[in-house]
Amino acid sequence: MSSFNLYSRGDKVFGIINATLLTLFVLSTLYPFIYIAASSISSGLAVTSGDVLLFPKDITFAAYDRVLSDPVFWTSYANTMFYTIFGTLVSLAIIIPGAYALSRKRLLGRRYLNFFVAFTMWFHAGMIPFFLNIRDLGLLDSRIGILIAFACTAFNIILLRNFFESIPESFEEAAKMDGANEFTLLWKVYIPLSKPALVTIALFCIVARWNGYFWAMVLLRDEDKIPLQVYLKKIIIELNMDDQFASSLINSEYSFETIVAAIIVASIIPVLAVYPYLQKHFNKGIMMGGVKE
Amino acid sequence: MNSANVTLSVSNVSLKKVYKRYGSTEIVKGIDLEIGAHEFVVLVGPSGCGKSTTLRMIAGLEEISDGTVSIGERVVNKIPPKDRDVAMVFQNYALYPHLSVAENIAFGLKLRKTPKDRVKAAVDEASSILSLDPYLERKPSDLSGGQRQRVAMGRAIVRHPKVFLFDEPLSNLDAKLRTQMRAEIKRLHKRLQVTTVYVTHDQVEAMTLADRIVIMRDGKIEQIGTPMDVFLHPANTFVASFIGSPPMNLLDGKIRKSDGKVAIELNDGCIVPVPHKDGMSFTDGQEVRVGFRPEDLDVVVNDQNHTAPMNCSVDLVEPLGSEALLHLQIAGQSAVAKTTSHGRSSDMSGIANTTQVFGNLKHLHIFDRASEQSIY
Amino acid sequence: MSSNINNKITGIGQILRKDWQLYLLLAPMVIWFIVFLYTPMAGLQIAFKDFSLFKGIYGSTWVGFEHFQTLFNDELFIRSIGNTFLISLYSLVFAFPMPIILALMFNELHHAMFKKTAQTIAYLPHFISVVIVAGMVVSFLSPTTGIVNLVLDYFGFEKTYFLTNPDYFRPIFIGSTMWKEAGFESIVYLAAIAGVNPSLYESARVDGASRWQQIWRITLPSILPTIIIMLIIRIGNLVEVGFEYIILLYQPATFETSDVISTFIYRVGLQGSQYDIATAAGLFNAVIAFILVYSANRISRKLSSSSLW
Repeated sequence: MSSFNLYSRGDKVFGIINATLLTLFVLSTLYPFIYIAASSISSGLAVTSGDVLLFPKDITFAAYDRVLSDPVFWTSYANTMFYTIFGTLVSLAIIIPGAYALSRKRLLGRRYLNFFVAFTMWFHAGMIPFFLNIRDLGLLDSRIGILIAFACTAFNIILLRNFFESIPESFEEAAKMDGANEFTLLWKVYIPLSKPALVTIALFCIVARWNGYFWAMVLLRDEDKIPLQVYLKKIIIELNMDDQFASSLINSEYSFETIVAAIIVASIIPVLAVYPYLQKHFNKGIMMGGVKE
Repeated sequence: MNSANVTLSVSNVSLKKVYKRYGSTEIVKGIDLEIGAHEFVVLVGPSGCGKSTTLRMIAGLEEISDGTVSIGERVVNKIPPKDRDVAMVFQNYALYPHLSVAENIAFGLKLRKTPKDRVKAAVDEASSILSLDPYLERKPSDLSGGQRQRVAMGRAIVRHPKVFLFDEPLSNLDAKLRTQMRAEIKRLHKRLQVTTVYVTHDQVEAMTLADRIVIMRDGKIEQIGTPMDVFLHPANTFVASFIGSPPMNLLDGKIRKSDGKVAIELNDGCIVPVPHKDGMSFTDGQEVRVGFRPEDLDVVVNDQNHTAPMNCSVDLVEPLGSEALLHLQIAGQSAVAKTTSHGRSSDMSGIANTTQVFGNLKHLHIFDRASEQSIY
Repeated sequence: MSSNINNKITGIGQILRKDWQLYLLLAPMVIWFIVFLYTPMAGLQIAFKDFSLFKGIYGSTWVGFEHFQTLFNDELFIRSIGNTFLISLYSLVFAFPMPIILALMFNELHHAMFKKTAQTIAYLPHFISVVIVAGMVVSFLSPTTGIVNLVLDYFGFEKTYFLTNPDYFRPIFIGSTMWKEAGFESIVYLAAIAGVNPSLYESARVDGASRWQQIWRITLPSILPTIIIMLIIRIGNLVEVGFEYIILLYQPATFETSDVISTFIYRVGLQGSQYDIATAAGLFNAVIAFILVYSANRISRKLSSSSLW
C-alpha cells in the first residue's frame, strides 16, 4: 500500500511468526473435517489400513449408499427438521412478546419479573425434578413436549429485552400518537426494527435445536420420534465403543469408519450451508448479549 | 398545485395550573398558558426547565398530575394521544427505518384504516408541500438530515391535526441546515396556519420562529411575550441573560439618590445616571444590577447625552469581521462589548488598550438584586 | 390504612385494565417459566423424601437429610465432586487463555482476506454438535482403525485404546472442547480489542513501540476488564462442566477420572431410577452453582459497574 517501510525488521519477523502459527491453528481446526470428508468417499479398506490422510483413495460412494438407505436416518432427519422449524417458531412466539413486555418501563412489578426470569440463569432445579415434571405433565415421548419444554431461555429473553430497550422511546410515542395499540406497536414497529436481534435469537434457537441431543435422548422412547443427533449418537458412539462390532463391519467397499464419516458429512451439510449467515449474526448476537446492561 | 389552498381546522390550546410530579419532585409547577388558534408559540429554557414535559403533557405522552389541558373546547387530560388531534415531530424524528418515505408518511393514516385513495392523496399533498416527491420510494437511511426532518413533518401534516407539536426538531442538524430548516418550518406555518407549540433550548430559534416566546425555568414560566418584547423588556435577570447573544451584561451596583436625580454607583465608584422615566421608584442604597446589552456598550461615544462612561480594562479582543467583541473587566466584573465602530478594521491594537467604555442609557436595564425582577 | 390499600388495589386494577394488552403479551412467557422452570423447583423436595412413584412428589414421606448422608458416605459421589472441580480447574488453566491468545493473534493479522478466512474457519467447530465431535474423537482414537493409532503404529509405537485409559480422559476432553470452542470464544475478546482507540496505537508507534510492546502495553491492558469478567463468569460456572459431552465420551473404565456430578446424577437418577438420591445430588450441585454464579455476578458488578445481566 505504501512505498516506505512502516514496520521494523523485528515487527516483520513477528508478523511472519504470527501468521505461521495461525495457519497451523487453522489447519488443525480444519483437518478433522477434511479427514472425515476424505474418508467418507474412500473405500473401507483404504481407510482402515491408514492410506487416507488428506485425500480420498479408491473413491466410492458405498458408505453413503449404505447410510442413505437406512430409513431411520431419514426419519430422524425429518424429525430434526420438524423440531428445528416448529421449535424455533414456538420459541419466538413466547420470547418476543415476553421480552417486549419486560422492556416496557410502565410494566407493573417489572423489577420482580426481570428477576423472575434472570433467577433461572442462576438456579435451576436440575435434571431429575425437570424430568419428573415433564413426566407428570404427560409430555414423555411426545413431540409437542420437545417443542414446548425447551422453548425459552432466560438468556434469549434478556438479550431481546435489552435490544427492545435500546430502541428510542420516541418510536413508541410516535406510533401511539398515530393510534397504534400494543399489538400493532409490537408487530408493525418493534419487530421490524429488531430484525437483526430477532434473526440472531432465531439462529440461537435453530442451532440449539439442530445440535441438541441430551433431552431428546432422555425423553423420547419411540424411534419414529428421535431427532438426527440421537440417531447419530446411537450409530457413532454406542456402536463404535463396541470395537468388536466395528471390526466386524470391515469389507472392501465400506467400513465402520467410512459409514461414520458419511453420516457425519450428511448431518453437517445443512450447518455448513447456513454457516456464513450464522457467523455474521452470531457475531452480532454475542456483542449484544455479551457483557452489557 | 391545488395543495396551496389547503386549509386546516385548528384549535387553541389552554393550560390551567398544570403540574407534573414524579413522586415528590415537581417538574412542572403550575403553568398557565393560553395559545391562540394559528399561533406559533415557542417554549424555551435551559435543559430540565420542564419545557419538554409540558409539551409531552399536551401531546398526551405524560400524564397530567394536576390542572387541566384543553385543546379547543375539550379538556384532554384523560384523552389518549391518538384522539387529541395533535401531531408531533420528535427530536430524533422516529422514522421507521424499514419503511419507505411514503410508507412512513402514510403510517398513521393506515393505522386509522383510512381508505387507500385518501391515504395516497394525503401523502401526495404532504410530499408536494415539503418537496419530498423525488424521495418517496427511498428509505430514511438514504436521506440527508434535512430530508429526514421534512419526512417527520410530513408524517405530522398528513394527519391534518389541529395542533402541531415540535420537540427540539432541529437539534440533530448541523448549524447551516438548522438555519435552513428553521426558515422552512416558518414557511410551513405561514402556509398551513396550524397552531404550533415548539420546544427548543436555542434562543435564536425561539426568536426567529415564535409569534410568542414562553421562557421557562425550573418548571415555571418566567416571561411570555413576543420576541421583541422579551428582548427589549426582559422581566428579570434570567430572561435578560437567556435571550440575546452574547447575553446581557449585568453589573452590581447601588442606587444613589440626590437632588431628585437617580444614579447607580458601581463597585468601583463609577456613576451611571438613570434617565427619568414615569413611574420609576427606587430607594436610596437599594442593591441592584445594571444591565447593558453588549451592543449597547461601545468604546466610541455616539451620543453625549445618553451615554455613561465606565472604567474598564480589556482582557481580549475577538474580531468577528463586521464587528468585534471586547471582553472587559468593569468594576471587577466580566462584561462583553460588541463594537461596530471597530469592525472592518484590520488594526485591533488600538482598542486593546481602551480604559473607558460607554453604556447607551437609552437601553439601560435595572433589576433588583434580591428579587431579580426588572424595576426600570 | 385499609382504604389506602384499597386505593392501591383499585389503582392496580385500573392499570391492568388500561394496559391489558401488555399483560396479555407477557402471560405466555410467565406461564412457561412457572410450568417448566419453577414447578420443578418444588419437585426439589424429594431430595428430602423417600420418593415413591405411586405416592408422587407431594405424597412421599419425609426422611430429612438421609439422602445427603448416603451421598456423602458414597465414595463415588465424593469422587464425582473431585472430578468436577479438577476438570473445571484444568479447563481454566489450559482452555481459558486460548481464546485470548487467538484474539490477539487474529488482531495482529493485517492481511484482510487471510484474517477473515482464518476467523471463519476458527468459528466453525462451535456449530458442530457434541455428538459429532464425540463421534470424531471416538473414530480418530479407535484402537484398530482410528487414524491416531494408525499413525502411531506407522512410527513404531504401540497402539493405545485412549478412551479406556483414565489417564487420557481429561486431556482428550479438554483438548477436544478447546478445538470446538476456543476459536468462537475469541469473538468476545476481538470485540473488546476493536473497541480500543486506534490513536493509542498510532501514538505508541510514533513513540517507537514494537508490535510486541503494543500488545503488552496497549492491547492487553485495554481488554483486561473483559478478560476479568470472562474469568469471573468461568469461575461462576465451575460446576457446569459439559456433561452432555462427557456422557458421550466416558466409559466405565474411565469413570475414575471422568465421572462428574452431573453424570453421576444422570446414571443414578435417569438410568438407575433412584430419583430421590439423584435429586439430592442435583440440589447440592445447584446450590454450589448458585453460590458461585451469584458471587461471580456480585464481584463483576463491583469491578466493572456493568453486571452480566
